Amino acid sequence: MTLLRQYRVASFLLVLLAIIGFAIAELDFTTLFAGVVLAVLSWYVTEGPRGRTLPAWATNLLTLGALGYASLDFIGGAGLVDAMESLGRFLMWLLVIKLFSARGEREEMQRLTIATMLVLVGCLESVTLAFGLLVLAYGAIAAWAAMLHRLNAGADEARRVRARAPGFAPPLELAYGRRAAPQFRGLATTAVLLVFALSVVGFFLFPRFGRVRLSQLMGESVSGFSDEIDLRRNDRISESRREILSVQWIDPAGEPVRSARPLLLRGAVLDSYDPALERWVSRRTSASVVAFRTLADGTDTPLVERVDADARPPYRARFEVRAVAVEELFSIYAPVGISTSVPRTISVDPRTLLLRDASGDRIGRPWSYELLVQPMPDAEMLEDLGRGRPARRRTGFPLPEMNAIAQGILAEVEQTMNMPPEPGPEATEAELRTHGREVARAVASWMRARFTYTTDLSALPREPGEDPIVTFLTRHRAGHCEYFASGLCAVLRALGIEARIVTGFIAMEYDESGSAYIVRESNAHAWVEVRTGDYSWTAIDATPEDRLLEIQDRNRSIADRFRWIYARLEFLWNSNIVGFDSFSQQDLASRVRSGWREAISERMRSVTQFAESVVARLSLGQAGGFWFTAVGVFVGAGGLAALIVVVRRRRLRSELDVVRLPAREQRRIERDAAFYAEAVRALARAGLEKPAHLSPRAFADWLAERHGAAAEAFRPIAEEFYRVRYGGHIPSRGEVSAHLSRVLALREALRTTRGAV
Amino acid sequence: MAGVVYILAILAVGVASGGRTNNLLVWTFSFLLSGLLMSGIVSGMMMMPLRVMRIAPRRGQVGEPLLIRYEILNRSRWMPAYDLRAGERVDARAPALDLAGPAWILHIGPGERLHAEAVYRPLRRGPVRLREFEVTSSFPFGLMMKVLRFTQPGEVLIQPEIRALRQDLLARVTAGGFGGHRLSNHGGGSDDFFGVRDYRAGDSVRTIAWKRLAGTGRLATIERSRSVPPRVRVLVDLRTPTARLRTVEGEDARMLEERAIVLAASFLSLADRLGYEYALAVAGVEIPSVALRRGHFHREKLLSILAAIDLDADRTPGNGLGTSEERATVIVVHPDRVDIDVAPADAWHFRARELEQLVEGAVAATERTVEGAHP
Repeated sequence: MTLLRQYRVASFLLVLLAIIGFAIAELDFTTLFAGVVLAVLSWYVTEGPRGRTLPAWATNLLTLGALGYASLDFIGGAGLVDAMESLGRFLMWLLVIKLFSARGEREEMQRLTIATMLVLVGCLESVTLAFGLLVLAYGAIAAWAAMLHRLNAGADEARRVRARAPGFAPPLELAYGRRAAPQFRGLATTAVLLVFALSVVGFFLFPRFGRVRLSQLMGESVSGFSDEIDLRRNDRISESRREILSVQWIDPAGEPVRSARPLLLRGAVLDSYDPALERWVSRRTSASVVAFRTLADGTDTPLVERVDADARPPYRARFEVRAVAVEELFSIYAPVGISTSVPRTISVDPRTLLLRDASGDRIGRPWSYELLVQPMPDAEMLEDLGRGRPARRRTGFPLPEMNAIAQGILAEVEQTMNMPPEPGPEATEAELRTHGREVARAVASWMRARFTYTTDLSALPREPGEDPIVTFLTRHRAGHCEYFASGLCAVLRALGIEARIVTGFIAMEYDESGSAYIVRESNAHAWVEVRTGDYSWTAIDATPEDRLLEIQDRNRSIADRFRWIYARLEFLWNSNIVGFDSFSQQDLASRVRSGWREAISERMRSVTQFAESVVARLSLGQAGGFWFTAVGVFVGAGGLAALIVVVRRRRLRSELDVVRLPAREQRRIERDAAFYAEAVRALARAGLEKPAHLSPRAFADWLAERHGAAAEAFRPIAEEFYRVRYGGHIPSRGEVSAHLSRVLALREALRTTRGAV
Repeated sequence: MAGVVYILAILAVGVASGGRTNNLLVWTFSFLLSGLLMSGIVSGMMMMPLRVMRIAPRRGQVGEPLLIRYEILNRSRWMPAYDLRAGERVDARAPALDLAGPAWILHIGPGERLHAEAVYRPLRRGPVRLREFEVTSSFPFGLMMKVLRFTQPGEVLIQPEIRALRQDLLARVTAGGFGGHRLSNHGGGSDDFFGVRDYRAGDSVRTIAWKRLAGTGRLATIERSRSVPPRVRVLVDLRTPTARLRTVEGEDARMLEERAIVLAASFLSLADRLGYEYALAVAGVEIPSVALRRGHFHREKLLSILAAIDLDADRTPGNGLGTSEERATVIVVHPDRVDIDVAPADAWHFRARELEQLVEGAVAATERTVEGAHP
């Protein structure tokens, strides 16, 4: 029986999926490879012709080894996340060991339980699309395997009971009908689909409190972008080729063009360094934030209050969100207007000119937005954008040794670079700021020439207690963009030049066929902005650009052509599933509510219009409504009557057990033997329901023991029924009336002796 | 048990998903909950259209498998049913049947009718009343068990257990007596000469007496003698009420009576196997009068009489042998002690306690009681 054999395959597939899922959740490809190879090997070893399994002592020994390893791993780790990883690794190796051990009902249950636990641990570890898809597949196969397991367990149980008395009970003969396997497939598929449908409903109805922050949930894997820089971590820089955005840079003539310089897409401004935490953070103040709603028709919403007709025409930057709907709207300095594909609430921080999506929901499709960008804004425009709230002055650096380091670096720069002349004591603030910008450019050039760009920080040891920026500037002089930006910013601040760090993306990869920049996760970047006015800032990047390009070219592959498909799916997954929170839930609920109302009112409107058109076509005049209602009532009543007739006929067929007879025979028996069904129904109402296993004659005998009068009245009815049902007798009119009178007599007998039953 | 573990798992995942903003856990929780709901829906839709009828045999025997068949009809138009178990609802306080193999149905398609067979081990002699049986299933996920109960009164008569007695037992007790082998007054059957008679149409050519034909010129047929098998009548002495039986310590009086019946049934079965003519009499309990016969139906009839003996009924006087002067060896089976008054003087007496010594393979001598002497 193939149905019973399918279980082994389904069970193995389930275990394999659990191993793959956990390895993907952990992003550990060594584990993935080892786990899959061992699992496949176990299939050949245990299910092969010899069917070898590990002895119990070996299984126990290996289990103890895995437990010991996991314990050491746990002790060495820190925090709950590490504990979960240790638990997951232990479960995975335990599962592999169990794959090689003996196979029995108990072992099967253990294997499936461990596999499910492994997937649950993976759920705690990862919410990526790849893992999510594996969890969905695991759910479907688990439901399928559970059904197959039930069949296997039923057969095993029946065999086991018989085996308790060997030689006594004959061996089990499987009883099964026709097309067992195809019908199982149909039933299992339907059940799995319904479980999925119900689970989706449950997913959306599950009470949620608060908001999901994807960056917290997924770490930097959400997009590679982070709104802080943590210099203690060595694994920040991602080399993932995942597409995050595509950006079209459109000149004032409306033509997409390639910019002479890479586009810097601003996402966060970090103006504060905490030496204790070794972290750059943003001191956000919500008081100054301005929010507005974009229009649905795609027209531009200006960010400036006054539009200067003489100003240079702006460029356009068309952003297409590919992978994830983060709250930050990456922008190019300086944005002066915005339009979105769907109406969104956008907030602008006048001090940083950063844009955020404040809509509070992430339900819907991938969306795009266009920015009007003025690459070289004048002071008035910037003041207008800044709403009269300039950023606070920030100079100095919270590390005392930084002043000496900065002076030393400045001296080195002066030796090799052309430095601008020192401004005199009477220099204005604007001149000082211009000088500061030139110094910043010189230092950045010097750093680009003298420092080494690397993403591998493992070969750069740090002295205990030494700040990573100090280490970068004085000892190693090597690091990635975050170090370059941190070092430059620290030096400039120590020299009294106002500077801040900006994180976001650098768009360098230009797709000629799409006339757009492709921004990938590995394009996450950090650079420095130097203050050049009350409201104006100039971007200065100390990171060697050629090294960035070199790394980008080195990682390029054929898979990049198809990555957008996965990116689109990932966007849907992240925005609708992973990011579904209480705000999204409220939005969905309001949409559904309004959708229902709209649908009903729309349907009513169309019905009314149809009725009016019919009345007009038939020239029914003022009374048309009345006639139309009358016809409607008549049709409705007719339909109801037809429904009642159909239901009654179906019930009669069922009572007479003629469902599987030819249609003609069914009709004959329905017509001629209805009296019997009437009689049985009357008896049932009186509490004498006919047991299903009794034939009509046996039922008459059965009745005789309980209700003599009813039995006497019923016996001729049963005899007549036999004549009609099996004898093919067609009763005459007289016989039909005789049947009815017998039924009436039966009712009378039941009525007169009510209470005797 | 699986259902409880599953619910605990749902609760654990529910708590975990409520505590973390992880929508994958929420979906897992929702999926597990949906699985529970779907399990109830599928099993309900699968079970409700089922109609089941029991097809029980009329007789069974203690120690032999009792096969009860169930006819299952799936009245659904589109819903198949899987993993069905059918079985009797047995009174747990005084079980008469022990399940030795449930009826299990892997699959029954919509509109199909299937038969499945359950095996029971009858635990005691007597009529077993069947009332309710049930069909259970924990398909699809094994989380909850759905039960359908059907009421269909029925009765199976369980015959007493039959032990294989020593083959030579009956030969010994019947040898030399008037119940042993002898020749019939009627011809036919064996090789010995019986007589010559006139030829009748249909007689075989090989039986023609050629010498007689030569001498007289008339056709005659040689008749052979016919042997009559030994005759045995087994008498079960149940005159003494159960409460007054003499038992040794730790011995159950009712069990002694049951063993007496088993011994009697075993004698009857052995007699049938050896080709004897046999009959049954019961002293102390009214049973129908049975003549000496042999054959399968006769055996079944006698075993059924033994099966139907109600040991709780009042005991009646008389030995059940009547006054007929039949030529048969009488074997008397006593529950506790031998009472020679119950049977003719040349009867053979056995006690229920001797059952184990009389079975095939046991080393023990038969014991003939003589008039006036008790064993």
